[in-house]
Amino acid sequence: MRTLLAFLVLAVAGCAAVVPDRGAPPEPAPEPPAARTENIAIAGLLDGARADAAAGRLANAAAQLERALRIEPRNPRLWQELARVRLKQGDYAQVEGTAARSNSWARDDPALRAENWRLIAEAREARGDAQGALVAREAAARQR
Amino acid sequence: MFRLFVREKPKFWRYFRYAFLALALLAASFTLYLDFRVRSEFEGRRFALPARIYARPLELHAGLRIALNDVVHELREAGYREGVREGEPGWFARSADGLEVALRPFVFWDGVQAAKRIRIAFDGKTVAAVRDAEGKDLPLARLEPLPIGGIYPANNEDRVLVRLAEVPKHLVNALIATEDRNFYTHHGFDPRGIARAVWSFVRLRGLQGGSTLTQQLVKNFFLTPERTLSRKVTELFMAVLLEIHYDKDEILETYLNEIYLGQDRDRAIHGVALASLHYFGKTVDHLTLAESALLVAMVKGPAVFDPHRHPQRALERRNLVLRETRDRGYATMGEFAQARAANLGVSAKASMGTSPHPAFLELVHRQLRREYDEADLRSEGLRVFTTLDPRAQDAAERVLARKLAQFDKGKLFGAPGLEGAVVVTDTQTGEVEALVGGRDARYRGFNRALDAARPVGSLLKPAIYLTALSQPARYTLVTPIDDGPFVWKSRGAPDWEPANYDGKFHGAVPLRTALAQSYNVATARLGTELGVEKVLATVKRLGVERELRPYASTLLGAAEMSPLEVAQMYQTVASGGFRTPLRAIREVTTQDGKPLRRYPIAVEQAFPQEPMYLLAVAMQGTVREGTAQSLSNWLPPETAVAGKTGTTDEQRDAWFAGFTGDRLGIVWIGYDDNRAARLSGAGAAMPVWGELMAGLDPEPLALQKPDGIENVLIDPQSGLRADSGCPGALELPFAQGSAPAERAPCASAVGVAVEQVKQQTKGWFQRWFGK
Repeated sequence: MRTLLAFLVLAVAGCAAVVPDRGAPPEPAPEPPAARTENIAIAGLLDGARADAAAGRLANAAAQLERALRIEPRNPRLWQELARVRLKQGDYAQVEGTAARSNSWARDDPALRAENWRLIAEAREARGDAQGALVAREAAARQR
Repeated sequence: MFRLFVREKPKFWRYFRYAFLALALLAASFTLYLDFRVRSEFEGRRFALPARIYARPLELHAGLRIALNDVVHELREAGYREGVREGEPGWFARSADGLEVALRPFVFWDGVQAAKRIRIAFDGKTVAAVRDAEGKDLPLARLEPLPIGGIYPANNEDRVLVRLAEVPKHLVNALIATEDRNFYTHHGFDPRGIARAVWSFVRLRGLQGGSTLTQQLVKNFFLTPERTLSRKVTELFMAVLLEIHYDKDEILETYLNEIYLGQDRDRAIHGVALASLHYFGKTVDHLTLAESALLVAMVKGPAVFDPHRHPQRALERRNLVLRETRDRGYATMGEFAQARAANLGVSAKASMGTSPHPAFLELVHRQLRREYDEADLRSEGLRVFTTLDPRAQDAAERVLARKLAQFDKGKLFGAPGLEGAVVVTDTQTGEVEALVGGRDARYRGFNRALDAARPVGSLLKPAIYLTALSQPARYTLVTPIDDGPFVWKSRGAPDWEPANYDGKFHGAVPLRTALAQSYNVATARLGTELGVEKVLATVKRLGVERELRPYASTLLGAAEMSPLEVAQMYQTVASGGFRTPLRAIREVTTQDGKPLRRYPIAVEQAFPQEPMYLLAVAMQGTVREGTAQSLSNWLPPETAVAGKTGTTDEQRDAWFAGFTGDRLGIVWIGYDDNRAARLSGAGAAMPVWGELMAGLDPEPLALQKPDGIENVLIDPQSGLRADSGCPGALELPFAQGSAPAERAPCASAVGVAVEQVKQQTKGWFQRWFGK
């Protein structure tokens, strides 16, 4: 196993060393913005949303998060926070979609992904889908 | 008894009595009837208030990409005026590093935003900071959203209600001094006023209205505008009844809200509160004496004394009102002199009519009708907050109209000219930012964006390629597809023999090239290989609800869809496989701001990310080296647009669908009567798209590579694995494990070892991730 892993690392390194030709498809890919935000607007809305959610004003919490998402639509934390609000609202189908959306932007953040899977598991449990919940919990455990 | 009675009275008197009784009865019941009407209608007096539709509010924060001039434009549109006016909101002023704005109070969906002063600093085309009056950083400042129209009651009556207490005293005084100086003492009609009117008529001073405010109100409120004696009598009766039941303030308040004060195209301006906003861009409580006098001047005839069209006449009448106000002792000499010296002061706001963007409004109206009664929409004064981005909308309208005029010039077809439609959405939230239904965007007629179902041509192709790329074991971006002669035979249908746009066959072409060059024959072969049903299932999953006919010809876009439906389909592609229903509405509140309903973002993962990523990369190829190459005339290659051109048989329809990092746009161009337009997607629709997007400062499309994708160097000649030793090798994405295993002849031996390792590790990966 260990040797395989070493080989794998080698292989990946080999790939990375290859210089793509200039005709290559655009992969200038300044990878989408990092999960943590420097934007005080987002921070303000996120705080507001958390306060609203804590006070049970769930619709307002969701609205604040959507305002934030219009500014930073690729911020996985915002999507996750929205999934959390949807869970409280009992909108379980949307927990799945929203948490999956968060996952799609959280490639480099396994902890965040694990949390998304836990939210999905909770939503599935609430819907009575024990099997699906188990699958989601396993997925959560796999994120690292 | 009866006989006795008959004997005692002569016949004449008997009839007279009957007649009198009958008359009295009639008069009494008429009065009762009028009384009933007056009370029931006035009691339950509820002005029908239009649903008011707003654009999205502009949210200013540090880092927002917007130029100072765009903010100024938006403020002006909202009726803000340039120049400091201490003590009142609704203005902006330029400062050394940006703008100072006195925001008006506004009731948003989530609460009231009080009036406040903010400072916006700019750094080039970016907001550097937003601060309050004390210089403290604000995380976010929301400008009030632009009103973009309404859903109006009968006669397109528009009004904003106001309480008497909020109306400045000098406005009321000017009104009373001019229209009904004995208002507070008379009982509904004013004999002195009537006498004065008669006297003035006799002395040939012209016709003066002898009507009291109460009579005017009755006339506007209950009666039709005919001028007959009986009507005059009824009016008088009702005025007296009104005065019996209600006090002066109630009557005055209703009058101020009812009064007709002008016309904005097809929209009727009623009430002093709306008139104040309409003519002066400020709330009624901030009206000066001079401005108040101008509104009072217009009471007599809003068209005759229209300050925009007849400024001189309006000014003279205003000054007359001011004189009356002074003469009645309501204004001092100083106040009078100051007001008289003021200019009319009306804002030069562009007229809006019932809406400047009727096509978008129709989309909103249709979405609202799912939840609300038409009658409620036209009377309850609902406030509807939409997703319209005025900047995108204006650009879409402008570019489409200009380009169509330009294309028309090059054509010899004559009238009616080319038509078009545009839909612009946000790629991540599915919000509709702009929607244009035809070249004359102000015209509320056939809405092509919603209702023109046209053949989509090659715009359907991405669904075919997505179906293929969802089977990585069978199809990758380099899988050769045969573009040689092809005949599709099916029982009960004529043979189908698709041809390419250039009339040639291209032999075996890589899958990504077949899409980029939009080869029909290769695509038809691929589609039938996959199965029409399977492709149509993909189309459905992409969000198209319309049932498409399961014929092979559907594959090459015989299917008809509206631009909005196409937008829904491409939305799912643009958001990486997450299906989001397109939305035009964010929130609805009651007229006083109580939240009624939200339309939240809804997302559903409809496709795994890997095939979607591959498709988007292939669609970037369309723009980089395929049919949409000339998009580079408008946007630099770094924008990395993913797009698809579409042209239908005999060039009846020209389409372009494409997305950047932040916006998806769909453009359709053609003739309403389906004539051959002789325009291609790349030649007509794409230039509209390019010019439109270039003006909106697009965010580049930086696709995020999903976990299950690996980039592999490919030798374009052989379609096999390459390495740095291969000239012109391309790095292409593949679903993990789907890249060709075989090495191109140019590849060196070192790579082989790596390759073998990868092959070995695959099984391990599979166990680990279960993929």
